[in-house]
Amino acid sequence: MSGGAARAASALILLAVTLTSVSLVVTGTASGELTQHGNLIIRLDGGLSPRKLPRDRPGPLQVHLEGGLRTVDGSLLPRVTRIELGLPGQAVITTQGLPTCSPGRLRFTRRAEALAACRSALVGRGSLEASVALPRQQPFTTRASLLAFNARVHRHRAIVVHAAAANPPSVAVLVFFFHHGRGRFGTRLVADLSAALGPWPRFAQFKLNLGHRYSFHGRGYSYLSASCPAPPRGTAGFFSLARSTYTLVGGGRISQTITRGCRAA
Amino acid sequence: MDAGIGRVWTRRLVPAAFCALLVLPALGASAAQAPTRDEYVAQLERICKPETEATRRAMKGTSADVKAERLAVAAAKFAKASAIFAATTKKMTAVPRPPADTAKLKTWFGYLKNQEKYLREITAQLRSGHLIKAQRLLSRFIHNGHLANYAVLPFGFKYCSFEFSRYG
Repeated sequence: MSGGAARAASALILLAVTLTSVSLVVTGTASGELTQHGNLIIRLDGGLSPRKLPRDRPGPLQVHLEGGLRTVDGSLLPRVTRIELGLPGQAVITTQGLPTCSPGRLRFTRRAEALAACRSALVGRGSLEASVALPRQQPFTTRASLLAFNARVHRHRAIVVHAAAANPPSVAVLVFFFHHGRGRFGTRLVADLSAALGPWPRFAQFKLNLGHRYSFHGRGYSYLSASCPAPPRGTAGFFSLARSTYTLVGGGRISQTITRGCRAA
Repeated sequence: MDAGIGRVWTRRLVPAAFCALLVLPALGASAAQAPTRDEYVAQLERICKPETEATRRAMKGTSADVKAERLAVAAAKFAKASAIFAATTKKMTAVPRPPADTAKLKTWFGYLKNQEKYLREITAQLRSGHLIKAQRLLSRFIHNGHLANYAVLPFGFKYCSFEFSRYG
C-alpha cells in the first residue's frame, strides 16, 4: 500500500471508530440515565434526529425525550406538581409564521377534534402514563396520547399539550411555558400539573417527540434547530441534551440530566 | 476431678481462653467498623462533595476550549480534574465498605478506575494535539460513567455519581 493510501485508510478507520464511539453515547443505554433518590427512581432518555448538524449555524432537528418516575418497591408514586424540561442553550426555537392554538380550543375535545382544530400549530406528539389513585379504590394506570401545539398564553410563548386517555375516557390540557435564562439549560419548558390534572393522577412516564418543519412566505423554517458544538478539526461534539425536573407535593425537587453527542456536518 | 485430667484441661483451656480474649475484641471491633449502607454513603458523599466542586471549577470552560481547539488549555484543565479524581478515588477506597454491598462496590470501583484511566488518556491525547482520539476517549468516559452510576443506583449518591456537566 502506498503512503497516501495507508494514511487515507488509517484516517477512515479513525473516523469509523470515532463515529462508533459517538453513536454509543448518542444512543446511551437502553433505559437512559437513571438516578435513585430514596425509594424513587428518576429516568430520562432521549436523542436528536438527525444526529448530523451544522457546526457553525443552527440546523433543523427533532428532539425525542422520554422518562419519568417509578418507585423501587412498587408503591404509589408521590404526586408531581410541576414538570420542567430544560433544553440546551444552543437550541433555537422558531415560531415565526407558525400558527398558534389556544388551550380553550382544545378543552373537552377528542384527539381527532383537537387535530382538526389546531393541526397547523402541531409541533410534537407523544404519550403519557399516570397512576390514578382515587379515594377508597385500588390505584390503576391510565395511558394518554399527547399532541403538542405551538401557543401563546397570556402573551407568553408556550406549548399546549392535549392529553387524551381512552380508559377511562378523559382529556387534560397542559400548558408548558417557555422560561429563558442563563446556564447550560437556557430554555426551560415549565408546566404546573396540579392545576391541570387535579389531585388524583400521579404522573409516571412520558414520551415526547418535539420538532416541526414548516414554510412561511415561501421560506422553510424549523420549530427546533441547533448546531453541533464540534471543533473545526473534530467530527463530533457532546452536550447536555436535556434535564427533567419534577417538583413533588411538599416541595421536594428531583432532576435528571442526559448527555448526548452529535456529528458535525 | 482427677488431677491428671485437670492438668490437661488447664493446659488446653487456658491458652484457648487467652486466644479468645485476644480475638473477640478484634472481631467486635471489625463488626463495629463495618458501616451500614447509609453510613457508607454519608461518608463517601462527605469526601466527594468538595472534590466535585473543585472539579467543576477546574473544568470551567473546557468545552469552549475544545471547540476553539485550545487543546493545551483544555489538557491542563483535564490534568487538574484527573488529579482530583485520582485523589478522591484513593480516599474513597480507604473507607470500610458495608459487607452486604462488597460485590456491587467492587464493580463500581472497577468503573471508577476506568474513569481515572480515561481522564489520564484524554489529557495525554489533548497534550499531543490528537483531538479526534481525545473525543473518542471522551465518549467512552461518558458511557463508562453511566455504567458506574447504574452499578450503585440504590445507594442514591449525589456527589459521588458521575455527571458529565461537571466536566465543562
